[in-house]
Amino acid sequence: MIQTIKGQYYYPKSSKSACSQLVISDSSVNLLVEGQSDQITHHDELQWRPNIAGVAIEVDFTDGGKFIATDRHQRLHQTHSRLETFEKNRPLILASVFLVPFLMWFILTVAMPKLAEESVVLIPQSVPNQMGEQSFQIIEELFLSPSELPAQRQEAVKAQWESALTQLSLPTAHFKLHVYDSEYFGPNAFALPNGTVVITDDLINKLDDNPDAILAVLLHEIGHVELKHSLRIVAQSISNTLAIAVIFGDVEGMGEAILGTGSSLVLNSFSRDMESEADDYALAKLVMLGKSPTAFSDAMKVFLDLKSAHEQGDLLKYLSSHPEIKERIKKAEEFGL
Amino acid sequence: MDITDTPQQQEPPASINTTREATVNFSGETKEFFGIWIVNLLLTIVTLGIYSAWAKVRTQQYFYGNTSIEGHAFSYLAQPLQILKGRILAVILFATYSLTLQFAPLVGIGIFIIMLFLIPWILNQSLRFNLRMSSYRNVRFSFKGNYGDAFVYWILLPIASIFTMYLMMPWAMKKGDEYVYNNINYGDKALETKIDTGQYYETVLWIFLVSIGLMFGVVAIALILGGFSSLMNFQAADSSGMGVGIGISIVTGVFYVFSISVLSAIYRARIRNHILNNSEFDGLATFKSKVEVTPFAILMFTNIVALIFTAGLAYPWMKVRTARFLAQATTVVINNDSDDVLDAMSESQSAFGEEAAEVFDVDIALT
Repeated sequence: MIQTIKGQYYYPKSSKSACSQLVISDSSVNLLVEGQSDQITHHDELQWRPNIAGVAIEVDFTDGGKFIATDRHQRLHQTHSRLETFEKNRPLILASVFLVPFLMWFILTVAMPKLAEESVVLIPQSVPNQMGEQSFQIIEELFLSPSELPAQRQEAVKAQWESALTQLSLPTAHFKLHVYDSEYFGPNAFALPNGTVVITDDLINKLDDNPDAILAVLLHEIGHVELKHSLRIVAQSISNTLAIAVIFGDVEGMGEAILGTGSSLVLNSFSRDMESEADDYALAKLVMLGKSPTAFSDAMKVFLDLKSAHEQGDLLKYLSSHPEIKERIKKAEEFGL
Repeated sequence: MDITDTPQQQEPPASINTTREATVNFSGETKEFFGIWIVNLLLTIVTLGIYSAWAKVRTQQYFYGNTSIEGHAFSYLAQPLQILKGRILAVILFATYSLTLQFAPLVGIGIFIIMLFLIPWILNQSLRFNLRMSSYRNVRFSFKGNYGDAFVYWILLPIASIFTMYLMMPWAMKKGDEYVYNNINYGDKALETKIDTGQYYETVLWIFLVSIGLMFGVVAIALILGGFSSLMNFQAADSSGMGVGIGISIVTGVFYVFSISVLSAIYRARIRNHILNNSEFDGLATFKSKVEVTPFAILMFTNIVALIFTAGLAYPWMKVRTARFLAQATTVVINNDSDDVLDAMSESQSAFGEEAAEVFDVDIALT
């Protein structure tokens, strides 16, 4: 069967072109320029571009010549491209509209966290140690100043910490507690992956009359270290960024900003899950130490007072990196009931 | 350029007119591209990202192949495996960079400095690759910028302008654009772009003035909403307070998107017009760009709103209408007397020779 395709022939290495026709038969391809046969070639000497819906046929000749069809919808009778068929297949397009968001949700919220959790176990302890030491140097330089609490007060907190570590048979050499004054962090506590835990003067002052509440906060921070949360969040944020960049590579400008927002919402939800895990860890250890889990809710109430102006329900909770404080208090009060 | 054989153009009487004008035509359709886009996304996900290189090539070919001047379409020549190679390199580079920054923050500072030196090279590589993979009438584009200039214009000048309280920034941006455009070739014809620093300062001044206007807008809206929320007795009733809180977030978000659209439309329209109106492919063609700020701002604003309300599914619609809008605003003025453009590429013109490309002769990018 013979098929004719109208188009432009472009001469090798030049912008010179001519109206032409490709006459295609089973055995050969004949290029006609202004009605005259210009060259006859075999099929395997031509490179046909893979078909794309709505893109004209384009053929490269071995000598560098090129033919582009005029009608962008015309196709060769003999060949049919499977990819083009996919791209025009309505049921597949409709299925993709649902499958793509579903698979993205699955990858980002189920597969990646699982992968992060499994892979951090393989990281040697020297990595989080170094990560913690170097981060601590930078944080100390930028945000921390020496504690202004009386030495006796600091010692009391540290003594309580040491005895809790011993009772829970956690390595006292690994976990180090520091007390610092920090305008930047306010009343707060944080842990670094090498086992360094920092509590601020402001937080100790807020919980002055309640040593068990201080202990509850510190146990929560130990939970972050023991459960390798820093490594998991690093592994997940890098792998999510890469996954989104590779899958949506061509998306630019505002589309990119929207993808970025989506990705940070996912990371926030991951972070909320880890805060809950650390809460559970702290509650379980409080019970092991023979303390009441309400010590944890006492500590949380301090943050509730601080944040009451900002705390919002429902919709806005997705924007937060921590679970809602009221829920955390409720969980502590109901713990073990 | 030989025009006797162009499919849509009548030959003008050569003795009177020495130039002819041709509009840029974009023939892509949202429905068509939507299918290509969503199916390619699905294939990319199920092949764990590998297919993304094929998806990129097909998308580029769709937009190039549907952009034409005088009935001649553009071609995108890159092979998927070249794109894949570039992506693998980019993934390795990005992972190394972010892992070092996270796991050894102090070493990360050193890596950051290395990146400063690496970025001009990567961007040059990318421009070189992308232009060389673009052809019109079987003649390729090329980029001949060098590392030294790239480092000065993309790293040194922007850093220096920070120390002048950004007063030098418009000039630095002009120098950066000048570097890119003056190093573009079409076959054996060099692009010459003579742009004016004053235009950049004027544009930035406009952006500054409009920003002030927008800030007054914010204050007005805040006053109206403030009155509204005090009527609702914001502090007393918890549930209605939350409703107003969400209302305020939405209004703020819309206003933010609106401001971004207006400000970027001002910059992009004015600078694009200025650059194209002052560029010439040596003796071959000049350009006319008439992008108007208001329609462009409306286009960008509606693009973002549509993207948000369709959870991203409006992306193909946005791409197609933006390409059409920019094509319609562009005219090419072609010199009737100019000869054929010769392809200046040293290696084989055909796509067959591509496998010979060296390892780093790729676009090291995730996009």
